[in-house]
Amino acid sequence: MNSILSFKIAIQTFKDNFKTTIILTGLFGIMAVVYAGMFPSFKDLLDQMAESGGLDPFSSFFGPAAMDMNSYVGFLYLEMYQIFIIIILAIVIGFIASSIVSKEVELKTIDLFMSNPVSRKQIIFEKFIGLIPMVLIINFITMIAIIFTTSAIGETLDFGYLFLTHIILIPYLLAIVAIGILISVIIDEKMKGAIIMIAVIIAMYVYQTMGQMISSLEFIKYFSLMYYTNAYEVLKFGKVDVAGFIILSTATILLLIITMIYFEHKDLRL
Amino acid sequence: MNVIETKNLTKYYGEVKGVENLTFSVKKGEIFGFLGPNGAGKTTTIRTLLGYLNKTSGEAYIFGKNIDDEIVDIKKEVGYIPGDLNIYGHLTGKQLLDFFSSLRHREMILLDELLKIFNIPLERKIKGYSKGMKQMLGIIQAFMDDPEIVIMDEPTSGLDPLLQQKFYDFLRKQKTKRKTMFLSSHILSEVDKICDRIGIIKEGELVALENVDTLKSKSGKKIKLKIKEKPEKFKGPKDMKIHDGWIEFVTTDNIDIWIKEFSKYTIIDLDINDFSLEDIFIHYYEMKS
Repeated sequence: MNSILSFKIAIQTFKDNFKTTIILTGLFGIMAVVYAGMFPSFKDLLDQMAESGGLDPFSSFFGPAAMDMNSYVGFLYLEMYQIFIIIILAIVIGFIASSIVSKEVELKTIDLFMSNPVSRKQIIFEKFIGLIPMVLIINFITMIAIIFTTSAIGETLDFGYLFLTHIILIPYLLAIVAIGILISVIIDEKMKGAIIMIAVIIAMYVYQTMGQMISSLEFIKYFSLMYYTNAYEVLKFGKVDVAGFIILSTATILLLIITMIYFEHKDLRL
Repeated sequence: MNVIETKNLTKYYGEVKGVENLTFSVKKGEIFGFLGPNGAGKTTTIRTLLGYLNKTSGEAYIFGKNIDDEIVDIKKEVGYIPGDLNIYGHLTGKQLLDFFSSLRHREMILLDELLKIFNIPLERKIKGYSKGMKQMLGIIQAFMDDPEIVIMDEPTSGLDPLLQQKFYDFLRKQKTKRKTMFLSSHILSEVDKICDRIGIIKEGELVALENVDTLKSKSGKKIKLKIKEKPEKFKGPKDMKIHDGWIEFVTTDNIDIWIKEFSKYTIIDLDINDFSLEDIFIHYYEMKS
């Protein structure tokens, strides 16, 4: 059997992160239920704010979705997607990815692990593959929780657009995983790597926001992966940014190639 | 046939020397002892051979395959027991062996035999293992698919004397099957017991490479003598030492010359011994210092 295609390291990576996946799925599922379920309580207040122009100041910071905050889609995007998925889920997944190799170096388990006939490229590739189920499970269970809650509170939402939104979130989250794995091979201390990962995500959010707010700094938003997700456009109108999808997928592949090349030439000094 | 071959293998960590110009070979079916104190470069050599560290210069081949280009292929036939053994604590012993088996794609033909020798609680999580149990698991995983060569870095660390003996017996059995073993150690009695040939490394350089018996015979004999006369009167070699009334010296000459010389004195006590590996080791280290 070709060892490259056996995905034994990927399976083990998934097993190693299984408990974490279940816990995170539960937390994000509950969060989706809470946030979507909160909308009826805020609807009147948000309508009043929209009528009096109270939502206008938010639009420069949170984008066009802020103007639509009194609708279920706008509320859901801003509260659930922009904060809890695009930022917090990215931080959590990035945190896990950024220690995926460094924890093996720090605990020195990589010494025995690498005595097996596996290439360093294969280790990186399979560790990445092994984290994909976590991303998919959290992503789609969160979607199911939103569908369930939407039906329960009697709001209307295009479930086709919702599904598309969760599809376009996949390349974004996988790009975050790829950044995390790159950090995990460069930085041998997992806590240091995790802090850098969080800083990168926050920096990307700041870049996107500043790029939207300040016209002279508009170009910096292109350095943020978040800019290419356009989840609001998909959730509201079903408009998928194909170019953004391709850019995120290409970024993921490039990051993985860079990680493999770097790891291939790295001295493993334990 | 040489299973391991290095030519001027050199590894520098920036400006710091790890090993320099190591040239040696390990033959098929032999147990090769790699001796040196902590920090001498034993682990650097092993980790360079296994591709964990990129060599600075020189060449190294295992089964004729270059370590630079064919390290994954090489590892298919190499077992390894690291010196500082760290194993996934969250897995059980069985889960670890299953995982490693799945990566090797070979039949684990020695697994049952090894589990009979080294009795470990396979269903228990490794974080609950004692140091000795972890070491046994390290030995089992290295040998379970009966690789052609096993590279061991202080493999008996943490094993009790009974288990050490069982391990040596197992190594001897592997040797009869023409398997090759590379044993890095600073436990000289261990190397003396089981190794055919040794290399002594000091400050990153190889200072001796010899068959164990040849090295011992070349080193001569240690003579300790107590005479009734004043020890200073004894006409011994220039490097003779007198310690607590004992006359001590080393000879590589024919012992008969000295027995005749002793007959000129009144002997109270006499002790003639072969050099132990420990003596040789200390000799090399003192000599070069």
